[in-house]
Amino acid sequence: MSAPFLSIARIAKSYAGTKAVDEVSLDIAEGEFVTFLGPSGSGKSTTLYIIAGFVEPSAGEVLLGGRSLLAVPPHQRGIGMVFQRYTLFPHLSVAENIAFPLRVRRRPRAEIADKVDEMLRLVRLEGMRGRRPGQLSGGQQQRVALARALAYDPRILLMDEPLSALDKKLREEIQGEIRRVHVETGVTVLYVTHDQEEALRLSDRIALFNHGRIEQVGDGRDLYERPASAFVAGFIGNSNFLPVRVVAAAGRHAVVSCPDGFELRGVRVAARPAGAEPTLMLRPERLWLAPGGAGEGIAGTVVDAAFLGDCIAYRVRTGWAQDLAVRTPLAALGGAPAGVGQEVRVCCEGRHAFLFAAL
Amino acid sequence: MLLDHRELGAWRWLLGGTALLLSLFLLLPLLLIVALSFDSSQWLQFPPPSWTLHWYAQVFADPDWLSSLRASLEVGVSVTVLSVGIGLCASFALVRGRFRGRAFLRAFFVTPMILPSVVLAVALYGVFLRLHLNGTLAGFVLAHLVLALPFSIIPITSALEQFDGAVEDAAVLCGATRWQARLRITVPAISLALVSAAIFSFLASWDEVVVAIFMASPGLQTLPVRIWGELRQNLSPDIAVVSTLLVLGSAVLMGLAAMVRRGASS
Repeated sequence: MSAPFLSIARIAKSYAGTKAVDEVSLDIAEGEFVTFLGPSGSGKSTTLYIIAGFVEPSAGEVLLGGRSLLAVPPHQRGIGMVFQRYTLFPHLSVAENIAFPLRVRRRPRAEIADKVDEMLRLVRLEGMRGRRPGQLSGGQQQRVALARALAYDPRILLMDEPLSALDKKLREEIQGEIRRVHVETGVTVLYVTHDQEEALRLSDRIALFNHGRIEQVGDGRDLYERPASAFVAGFIGNSNFLPVRVVAAAGRHAVVSCPDGFELRGVRVAARPAGAEPTLMLRPERLWLAPGGAGEGIAGTVVDAAFLGDCIAYRVRTGWAQDLAVRTPLAALGGAPAGVGQEVRVCCEGRHAFLFAAL
Repeated sequence: MLLDHRELGAWRWLLGGTALLLSLFLLLPLLLIVALSFDSSQWLQFPPPSWTLHWYAQVFADPDWLSSLRASLEVGVSVTVLSVGIGLCASFALVRGRFRGRAFLRAFFVTPMILPSVVLAVALYGVFLRLHLNGTLAGFVLAHLVLALPFSIIPITSALEQFDGAVEDAAVLCGATRWQARLRITVPAISLALVSAAIFSFLASWDEVVVAIFMASPGLQTLPVRIWGELRQNLSPDIAVVSTLLVLGSAVLMGLAAMVRRGASS
């Protein structure tokens, strides 16, 4: 494989002694859609702002096409960016906003006019060209911002939580737009969000940030089905975490014993251990309920059953007083659903369970 | 609301009456001056025996009044340009800068508004005496600039604070240098504040008499200074004419400022 298109190499940034970004490294291929996902304060936005040039890293290097990006001032980096807040130029019309980066570059008038038309078509706002930003909805403003950021064919497009100010329905609509624009233009996108669903929906790869470090990089399925750490498992999707005892371990598989003595075999061991205490992760949708009594599974009592349309969400209290979340799709439901107060066994296959433990 | 106008009952009339009387109290002297400027009697007799435009003709033919008008405009326009220019630069530093003593500096810039102008006048007079600036246009402009700067700094800093810095960052990523971004994006975006700063800076100089008396020389007297001088020497209808013109000028600018503010809020 040739040199990566964009290479982030061991960048770090400290503010007054605290490490906002702690030796982050990541290689990104041309045309890739990579999302920086993580809780607020995890360093994902700071990393983006270092690439944009508004934050100077304390250490490390960013290479674009083999050349240092940090040595280039922000206005010459050729980077497009859509911000979290609305940043259209308030005194300019939609068309003038999109034309601004081309005017600054002193492109010929005819070329600017063509490009503005092309961009308005791309974000489907042809009818809005004469409007002022104040006359547009939030979603329209962010689409114009996207058009402005792409007007000069940037080498990278940065997006810093561009949809966080919008309501859920509009957000999903514009996610679709962003996906389409990415496919149509083929631009390399770095996207920051704290919304896991947004990350899963949009990205080719996700870099999950925590405490200024990347916990794991991979596509959505990697992170969901093969989490490297308990943090990843907890952040992506819903999880049950059980305190367990490791009975036996061989290679990447183990046998664990739950607090009530139930032994689960063939459990997969995560790449990176969590803390000192061995912890077992069970996804709610990988669990199913069997009638109470003797047999495989963790014995418990149903304390809540909620009908959610496509599935039933149970809460089952175990013998050691922990509530386990169980989701049963309607299609998988044989007969009547379990009622509150019913004795059940929570069953699971070992290959769908994950152990975080220092072995 | 606590004081709903409709629920005040009879108190409403008392409130309206007081407001009317107060307005009359404030406006009557101005109206009297305007009336006197058209008074045919040269002893400022009221009510006027008859009406005339004679005094207006006389003022506009008088080289002393005309030179005062020119002085007022020269000082006012210079102060306006400098006040807005310096106010803009200072506001950028005060709002966007990160340095020690920023809050102190910001309060310091506004102190001329609360300092008694006679104190400032005496102090400036003393300093300018050593610098040989007394009676010069430069000295006059500098003195009035001190008074006008708060009127620039207050609206411009507040406009800059409301203007999201990320918009300027967006312009920089679009390919503009930091200075281009400021000039082409930030400054036009806060243009209403700049107009308002200009109007009030001009008025701060145009209406000012205390500092001006200290800064004036026989050859350099702004309109308020000459009115003051004339008042002490000979009470002529000219004063009423010039006062009327001063009030008219101020009123026009205040109206303009009100329009700008309405434009900003819509």
